[in-house]
Amino acid sequence: MTQHAAPGRPGGAADRRESPALAGVAAPTADRSIARVAPVGRRRRPSGEAPPLPRPVRHSTRVFLAVIAATAALEAALFARPILRVVTIGDDAVLRALVALRNEPTTQVLLAVTGLGSVWVARALAWATIAVLLAVRRFRHLLTYLVIWLAVSFVAAWLSVALGRMRPTGIVILGDWEGWAHPSRPVTNLALALVGILYTLVPHGRWRNLAKWVAVAVLGLVCAARLYLGVDHPSDIAVAVVLGWLLPIVVYRLVTPEEVFPVTYRRGTTAHLDVTGPRGQAIVQALDHQLGLDIVAVEPFGLAGSAGSTPLRLRTSSRGGTSRLLFGKLYAVTHLRSDRWYKLARTVLYGRLEDEKPFSTVRRLVMYEDHMLRLLRDTGLPTPAPYGLVEITPEREYLIVMEFCDGAREIGGAPLDDHELDDALRIVRRLWDAGVAHRDIKPSNLLVRDGSVLLIDVAFASVRATPWRQAVDLANMMLTLALCSEPERVYRHALRLFTAEDIAEAFAASRSITIPSQLRTRLRADRRDLVAEFRRLAPPRPPVPIQLWGLRRVAATAAVLGILALAIVVATAYVQVAGLV
Amino acid sequence: MNPIAATQHRRRRPTPPRRGERLRAGLALAALVATGLALSACGTVEAAAPSCPDAMRLALVAQSVPTASYLPCLHRLPDGWQVTQVDIASGHTILALLSDRAEGRAVVVTLLPSCDAGSATAEAPRADGIRTSVYLNSISDRYAGTMYDVFPGGCITYRFDFARGPHIALMEELNDTAGLLARRELRLDLRRQFGVELDP
Repeated sequence: MTQHAAPGRPGGAADRRESPALAGVAAPTADRSIARVAPVGRRRRPSGEAPPLPRPVRHSTRVFLAVIAATAALEAALFARPILRVVTIGDDAVLRALVALRNEPTTQVLLAVTGLGSVWVARALAWATIAVLLAVRRFRHLLTYLVIWLAVSFVAAWLSVALGRMRPTGIVILGDWEGWAHPSRPVTNLALALVGILYTLVPHGRWRNLAKWVAVAVLGLVCAARLYLGVDHPSDIAVAVVLGWLLPIVVYRLVTPEEVFPVTYRRGTTAHLDVTGPRGQAIVQALDHQLGLDIVAVEPFGLAGSAGSTPLRLRTSSRGGTSRLLFGKLYAVTHLRSDRWYKLARTVLYGRLEDEKPFSTVRRLVMYEDHMLRLLRDTGLPTPAPYGLVEITPEREYLIVMEFCDGAREIGGAPLDDHELDDALRIVRRLWDAGVAHRDIKPSNLLVRDGSVLLIDVAFASVRATPWRQAVDLANMMLTLALCSEPERVYRHALRLFTAEDIAEAFAASRSITIPSQLRTRLRADRRDLVAEFRRLAPPRPPVPIQLWGLRRVAATAAVLGILALAIVVATAYVQVAGLV
Repeated sequence: MNPIAATQHRRRRPTPPRRGERLRAGLALAALVATGLALSACGTVEAAAPSCPDAMRLALVAQSVPTASYLPCLHRLPDGWQVTQVDIASGHTILALLSDRAEGRAVVVTLLPSCDAGSATAEAPRADGIRTSVYLNSISDRYAGTMYDVFPGGCITYRFDFARGPHIALMEELNDTAGLLARRELRLDLRRQFGVELDP
């Protein structure tokens, strides 16, 4: 493969040889070239050097953390009476200065302004935010929002009771108030509501910057009004702002970073990451340094058929040869979590027949797919040639690179000839011989090129899979082929490679839930009952049970049901504790 | 293409029959212990109650009714009593005290700028300058009514509802627990402890 370039020598001094498995392909007409530095070739990232897409903590986040830490120290100190005395004297001095500015018209205006800080305004904003987040299915943001609200409410309530601070003294308090003064609960709640809207509903960039100023203005006005009316001390307001504004911002930035969990209202699945900007440049750099590939264009490809990763089409430079196309799949932590939920659902639905552990890291998920690509290639299966995987952000984002099947069409677009039928069925035969199950055979994972059938997307493949799963592979392949042919013809060709009993077992194991959703949709659209047709052709066989109970399935099902019940109880209690009712 | 006999391929194990799965799953289910989770409320209500020596907490009570010359406070709670509500806001202070012998009916202590004692029967004043009276709206089935402490600038009411029998002991305990602090004393305490003037 590619030779190592000397570290620190830019300019592509390394001699790059492409994989012999890769055939030259024509450059695409659409060009998504991105800004990049001159390629340096394959080089090892030395210890301490930042990865291609680092996740640094922003300077402002560090400042906020420092302020939060200082506030926590101050709060602890306030429990000492001498310190509370000093702070109170300082607070009262500021308030006396403000009292000197009072006049009737200003008082009336600011009395109305404090209405913005009422508990009803905060509750209305909170419930509206929750409703929108549910409607757009932005569940990570919703969960973060609820946890922040609950945690801050708890902390504020505990602080106010523990300290038990009185309202400002020595002045006439003009506005209405409720409860202990420190921290200012109305300011905390309003800040929580506004920050929640900013970081969960407003897209990052110009819109959020604009909204931020509006929110700051509203909050600032309410704070000024409460100080003018003598309802809160300045230190009550300051701590409330730290609790309700700075702390949630830090949490949102760390738990729902914009790069991974963008607030967007464009159509498309949340699995697809934005590959423009810093991420696109990081991909180019990573491919250059780690695989020695000189990439000039990175563009999303085939997003409609993908929900488990961000599929990309990569174009190499034409320097020194022909520009080539490669296919990449970008995986991130979001995909890892989706994989875990998917496997939990399969454990509950299928039980022991699909007993599998979720991947613990993104790295392992990508390594598995790379391994399966190489394994299937070694067994002679017609799968894309693997190029390897690159690290974008350690433990968070990885890209697996493979051959781009240019010129291939998805199976089903045209009638299949006998050779193509046999080629497709031979794929299942080879899978069986290798003891591998693909587990996701459907039209979009079978491509036809120059009369040959290619098998793609092997991420779900399993070595030494259960016999039932192997049988289902055969059934799904025959159903896919029958969609663009006749079941009798497919059956005749299948008998060349399988026994009638094999075929009978395949359709005895076939259910609606064992058929991928894309294939299921196409079967429904087809007027024929192809499953019944194949069962009629094959020898009779009792159904193969596919939902088996085991200890793990019992535990998983009980846990899911228990969590659902608990969620109802918690939600009921939450709305009371968080002050949302 | 020549057909390839199935015997020339590696033998694949067909799906075997399952036996005993249901029995094992049934035993697992029976052995699974259902865990119950309950949410517990945070025990902060009692911590919020204004106790008689605590000048800072009583200051908030004083600020709720700026004209009140006396303020309600709590001495040490007798055994079996707990504070179930503390509501201090501009215009009023409400405390709820519950005894384990009161059948869930709490005594509600309310500080207001004024109140109407009506036809309540006068009793010995509980402090200088206070008119104490009691109005009973039930004495046969239950011992229920309202006690009033009326003073310049304010009024404290104690609404109670006890079962007959334990009511004598409960009223004594209530009288021992529900204290009164003169505003002028609190003013002095705050000046000494915090260097602040309670009232403008």
